[in-house]
Amino acid sequence: MFRTALLRSARRATSQAARSSGAIARPVVPSSFITKSRFAPSAFQAARCYSAAAGLSKPEVEGRIVDLLKNFDKVSDPSKLSPTSHFSNDLGLDSLDTVEVVMAIEEEFSIEIPDKEADAIHSVDKAVEYILAQPDAH
Amino acid sequence: MSVLSGAKGETAQQARSLYRQLLRQGEQFAAYNFREYAKRRTRDAFREHKDVHDPREIQELMQKGLKELQSMKRQTVVSQFFQLDRLVVEGGKTGKQGGRRNNLVRQKDTGWD
Repeated sequence: MFRTALLRSARRATSQAARSSGAIARPVVPSSFITKSRFAPSAFQAARCYSAAAGLSKPEVEGRIVDLLKNFDKVSDPSKLSPTSHFSNDLGLDSLDTVEVVMAIEEEFSIEIPDKEADAIHSVDKAVEYILAQPDAH
Repeated sequence: MSVLSGAKGETAQQARSLYRQLLRQGEQFAAYNFREYAKRRTRDAFREHKDVHDPREIQELMQKGLKELQSMKRQTVVSQFFQLDRLVVEGGKTGKQGGRRNNLVRQKDTGWD
């Protein structure tokens, strides 16, 4: 008898707590979602879904790839580096260097590019295009 | 292993694939020195033979590369059985290194051993 009463009161207390915290949270969530930008720090950032896209932008990907090539010592003419340059025609890299560049890109964006796709990447814009098409690149 | 213009499409593609596989496998060594040596040796071997045009010789070199790849696979597995301290040159982190690269197992220094 005493135990059931205790259980019932406990259950009521928890459901009330849940309801009241829900009432607090509800008005805040939509406003922060609409008014602030998606990545603005807010109290609810921890609740961001893990399934949300990482959101790599094209200029960022281009910048990271160009930086990576800038540090690659076999690039013959760093002044020719641009988001459209071709690995062998503009930068003077041979096919072995291209393989190494593509592997460095894999490491930079922590993905693995299969052989077939990796062989098709011959220029910076091809690489950017490929990275942007990968949902798990970051 | 002629990968430059001279080789026909398929052989060149195979050679690039072998090169990629060798470099990837070399990354798996737990010990820094072995890892760097494997990568350097792969690069040097491919550069050394980049002007080979004789199809037979290319085939022989490819076979040699595949054999090396097989033995490297065994060696990397064995190397991951042993714990090694990270070297200072590897930079940044300190601690004990476990199986794979960048995989640190922090061990508290208890002081009694």
